[in-house]
Amino acid sequence: MDFIIGGAYQGKRDLAFRRYGLTADDIYTCTEAEGIRFGARCIDRIEEFTLWCVRNEKDAVAMFRENREAWRGAVLICQDIFCGVVPLGADMRAWREMTGRLAAYLAAEADSVTRVFCGLEERLK
Amino acid sequence: MIVFLSGGAKNGKTALAEDIAVKLSGGGRRYYVATMIPYDDEDRARIARHVEERAEKGFGTLEVGRDIGSCPSLGGRDATYLVDSVTALLLNEMYPDTFEREADPTAAERCRAGLLRLGREAENAVFVSDYLYSDAARYDAFTENYRRDLASLDRTVAGMADVVIELSAGIPIVRKGEFVL
Repeated sequence: MDFIIGGAYQGKRDLAFRRYGLTADDIYTCTEAEGIRFGARCIDRIEEFTLWCVRNEKDAVAMFRENREAWRGAVLICQDIFCGVVPLGADMRAWREMTGRLAAYLAAEADSVTRVFCGLEERLK
Repeated sequence: MIVFLSGGAKNGKTALAEDIAVKLSGGGRRYYVATMIPYDDEDRARIARHVEERAEKGFGTLEVGRDIGSCPSLGGRDATYLVDSVTALLLNEMYPDTFEREADPTAAERCRAGLLRLGREAENAVFVSDYLYSDAARYDAFTENYRRDLASLDRTVAGMADVVIELSAGIPIVRKGEFVL
């Protein structure tokens, strides 16, 4: 599994297209309403899945653990929403923490970790 | 040479940008391009203080809040320009006259054209922006659009830059090219 992380609008998805030769059909985009579908070649907006988890009282890391076989060969993309100020709302706080924990889990599991900054990539692992 | 600096607030971006501009300009003319448009006496007092401080470092000041591409025709193509900041330029272009009106949807593209022109025409340019893309918040549509457009301008400037530096806790991390100090 290859993990791509970075801030909003920094070019994470562009990098996935470029480096892994993906097409739009390869990418599943998580949403706050629908959560996630494991098994796609590339799963983008994982931070939307963690927000779905918060809203539906699920543990994001546990769900990834249970579905490990389905994403082991995938490209996973997550926004690093856990770098800013601790938000005031309880949901937003839980969201921030769960995303941070999931990112650490995925980075540990990943064959490669890349951070994207202003369109520039940095290999972290 | 084009240098792009970004990072969080109060990180020392402006101070580092000044040092880089001094180094790049050598004995040549250097301008601090002040992008903030003053709205009250407090703003004006702060600007006056900054102008004085920078004069000691050999910077002239150009007040260019909009149409950033006009800099080389104001100070010459052979000068060094420190543009602080892309963040303010975009906001200024979005509201050409008053904050009462809707944001101008063409602001980002005008801003981009100006930044590219300055980068192309000036001997040296140092651009400063703000990194505001990694927090847990749901923004209103206005703020989200602003964030998206600013990120897009950042990527344009980073793309044309010879050197890209991220400042983290005041420490420069070179993302592209070689550190110039």
